[in-house]
Amino acid sequence: MMVRISAWLTVGMVAAVIAVPAKADIAIGAVVPLSGASATQGEDQRRGIELAVDEINAAGGVLGQPLKVIVEDSGGRPPSALDAAKKLVAVDKVPAVIGEYSSGITLPIGQYLVQEGKLHVNIGSSSNKIRDIGPTAFSVIGLEAVSSKFSAEDVAAQGWKNIVIVGPNNAYGHGMAEGFKTEFEKLGGKVVSTLLYTEGQTSYRRELQQAAQYKPDAFIYSAYGKDGALINREAFELGVNKTPWYAIYFSMCTADSKPEYVVGQYGMDLNYIGPDGKSYEEAYKKKYGADFKTSFSGYGYDAVKIFAAAANKAGSVEPQAVKAALIEVGKDYPGATGTITFDAERQRSYQPYLKLKKTETGMDVR
Amino acid sequence: MSEFALHVATIAALYAMLALSLNLQAGFAGLINFGQIALFGCGTYGAALAFSHALGPLAGFALGLVLVVLVALLFARLGRNLGADYWGIATLSIGEILRTIATNEIDITGGAQGIGGIPALFDTGSPLSGRLILFAVVLAALIATWFAFRRLTQSKFGLSLRLLREEPQLAAAFGYDLDGLRRRIMLAAALPAALSGFLFAHYLTFVGPDQLFASETFVIWTMVVVGGLGSHAGAVIGAIVVQCLFALVPFAKDAFGLPSEFVAAMRLVLIGGGLIGFLLLRPQGLIPERIGGVRG
Amino acid sequence: MIPIIIDIVLRTGDIALAAVALSAGYSLVKFPNIALMQYATVGPFLAYLFASWGAPLVAAALAACIAVGLIAVLLNITVFDRLLKSGSAIAMIGSLAAGMLFTAALLVTAGPDSRHFDFPVEAPLNVFGSPVTGPQLLAVAISLAAFVLLAALLFLTDIGRCMRATATNPDLARATGIDARLVVRVIIFLSGVLAALGGIGIAVKGELNILMGQDLMLPVFAAAILGGLGNPMGAIFGALVIATAETLAATLNFGPLIGKAFLFIPANYITAASFLILVLALLFRPHGLFVNEVKRV
Repeated sequence: MMVRISAWLTVGMVAAVIAVPAKADIAIGAVVPLSGASATQGEDQRRGIELAVDEINAAGGVLGQPLKVIVEDSGGRPPSALDAAKKLVAVDKVPAVIGEYSSGITLPIGQYLVQEGKLHVNIGSSSNKIRDIGPTAFSVIGLEAVSSKFSAEDVAAQGWKNIVIVGPNNAYGHGMAEGFKTEFEKLGGKVVSTLLYTEGQTSYRRELQQAAQYKPDAFIYSAYGKDGALINREAFELGVNKTPWYAIYFSMCTADSKPEYVVGQYGMDLNYIGPDGKSYEEAYKKKYGADFKTSFSGYGYDAVKIFAAAANKAGSVEPQAVKAALIEVGKDYPGATGTITFDAERQRSYQPYLKLKKTETGMDVR
Repeated sequence: MSEFALHVATIAALYAMLALSLNLQAGFAGLINFGQIALFGCGTYGAALAFSHALGPLAGFALGLVLVVLVALLFARLGRNLGADYWGIATLSIGEILRTIATNEIDITGGAQGIGGIPALFDTGSPLSGRLILFAVVLAALIATWFAFRRLTQSKFGLSLRLLREEPQLAAAFGYDLDGLRRRIMLAAALPAALSGFLFAHYLTFVGPDQLFASETFVIWTMVVVGGLGSHAGAVIGAIVVQCLFALVPFAKDAFGLPSEFVAAMRLVLIGGGLIGFLLLRPQGLIPERIGGVRG
Repeated sequence: MIPIIIDIVLRTGDIALAAVALSAGYSLVKFPNIALMQYATVGPFLAYLFASWGAPLVAAALAACIAVGLIAVLLNITVFDRLLKSGSAIAMIGSLAAGMLFTAALLVTAGPDSRHFDFPVEAPLNVFGSPVTGPQLLAVAISLAAFVLLAALLFLTDIGRCMRATATNPDLARATGIDARLVVRVIIFLSGVLAALGGIGIAVKGELNILMGQDLMLPVFAAAILGGLGNPMGAIFGALVIATAETLAATLNFGPLIGKAFLFIPANYITAASFLILVLALLFRPHGLFVNEVKRV
């Protein structure tokens, strides 16, 4: 019985594959985590991509044809991500693939794409190892060194000397903590403790109480989704928030938190008030009826937009031509996440971040 | 297209080795291992640690073997006085503890960021021919495992395994050394799992703790249950069917214009639904276990 | 000291209800039901849904618990009873698969984002110098009330006596005229209700999202096994042991012992504490802390 069902299912799927019609429109691929532990970020990346596609097609598409981004789920699993990347390259014949979120997936799919001579645009991983992927790989997100330097200087400027870092125990958290510590200690500060919490717990009271025992001048933290909301709430409830808190990617850390919990926090975030950024934020709110869930949607948006601009400039979607055009376009390109300029290794060399402080009445730009 | 097919075949063959290994434990000896992915992880981290210490792949393979022998012996030791379901939970916990260590010991394992840039095993100048040779090696390893396991289970040893599964107390009463049996079966099953991990690491070029989530173990379980517990051919067929379905899901999405969120749920439905559907409707799997056929 | 005790109590509350549910279910249906962890996820989501339709929180929670209880009974009749014939391990794998289907259903209907019940922000109350919030007290009260009611049911009512009799010796119970099927259904219903209530307790003072059940699994299993699977009241004690171990591991400063200012067990190992206790318990006390007889489990 079950055999027959699964056999028919397989036959149906194979038939479906063969029946896929040849597409006239221009397609590129994206691999993001729509399920698994990073599904929230992946969904936000997808939203950014979707907004860019809407906007590009409303303005006439790429090279006069509509643009399509084939979004594949990585499930947060490297084998599935590689399935998806190979499908996009070998079957859909896309010239470029953007993604993923976690460095452990971005690295292997990036390396595969480079081997195949396709373009890869990193929109979510900040590990410094991304720099070495290869000659057709780009990053529209500033790697660790870029954001750490900015936030370490900002923290030092507040006069805080002894700080505790709080971050998730994953690739992002490890990179953030390590990067910040290096830069902050160069400036004469001291990281008295680094607390990497396990994501998805029902409470972070114990971690917070451990951190509070160090009596630091400030807590530097980064967290997303439910963890961020819970940490802010419990820090407020335990009174740990009487010490200053500094959020790396403010809107992501406080997305689900009530304002009462996070009043008085300092932080830094992507620049969404540039010429393109403000309209992007409004378009996002209009389409999804909510504030940014994470800081990652903007990179998906920028990656698609900058690809479209480069393809239009090159007059083709052939990877080498687009690569050359991308290097040209990527000089002071006005992105939603701020000005994008690629360095000699095609990584984003500089990102204009905002310095923020939450007050009773709203968010102040310091 | 052929490039994609080669990839799916390589991954399917790597998983088939894991499925054969799990099937030997669960299907023949009744050892419900929920920490199977930890055995695989010994192989991946063996390759990665050797690479990060500038040792060759041979050293990596040896390190993987040392690690996997230790973990397998620990699993076997735990099995001494536990029922099958309890042992499953124990192995699940050990798998999680090992993953936690791999995530936290940044100085040794690279932490959550893992170890990248592991070179392909066969550098022939063109990536495609390298991948073809790797596939041939994986296939050879799979076939070798299959034959070795078949010989093992058709021997007297195989009979004692089934006795261990069906009537452990009777086996003990007959004078079988249950601890020794369990140890040997775990060691035999652990080697191809580690080899699969080692080859996977060199295929993917990246090793990290995210590859060791407990959910990966359940993917392997689905393969074994779909194929048929207690059947070597079943484990291999199950791995191929599940991996092909996984690979086809995105095409179904394109063809029917489904939103990409459904693809995410679809993968869970395939694993969960496949498991439960087969357990309920066809518990013997696609290729049922052959009863008898034991040569003395 | 007081904050540590408060943390232990709160953490115990988080895992105890699901652990009691697991143990109670096991007393009559002999397999560890992994799908219970998903009942603890579905419960708060249903309560959240009902509350968003305008139901008052108590009514929404009650309705959600009953709904989950019914789902549990239904699943038991249609799936687990049949799988159990092939052995407890097969039934456990089936319950794991059922759990995945719940996750898939929630992923499609509710999405991966976390939510929280909308309580007004209040300054925390002062309990012996430590801050405690209203929702936290509420969650603890829910757990306590559930334990008292369960104990009363098990030890003071006829149906409770039947349950204990069936758990101890099903054949004898049937011979004395107890309707064993009904008794099993009642206890499965109760285990669903308790798991859902446990999830709601967590959601009330924190957040709810589709991964919460999965994250609870190992601590809950550790608590239930420590208390002796099949012994619901023992599970509460097991939860207390796990909560104490985790909390002490997190907050004790070992620095002064070796003449340094600070030395903590790294926070990223705290969750491993319950896994380790589980493995140690299975190695040395597989029947739980309360059983002395030596036999295979």
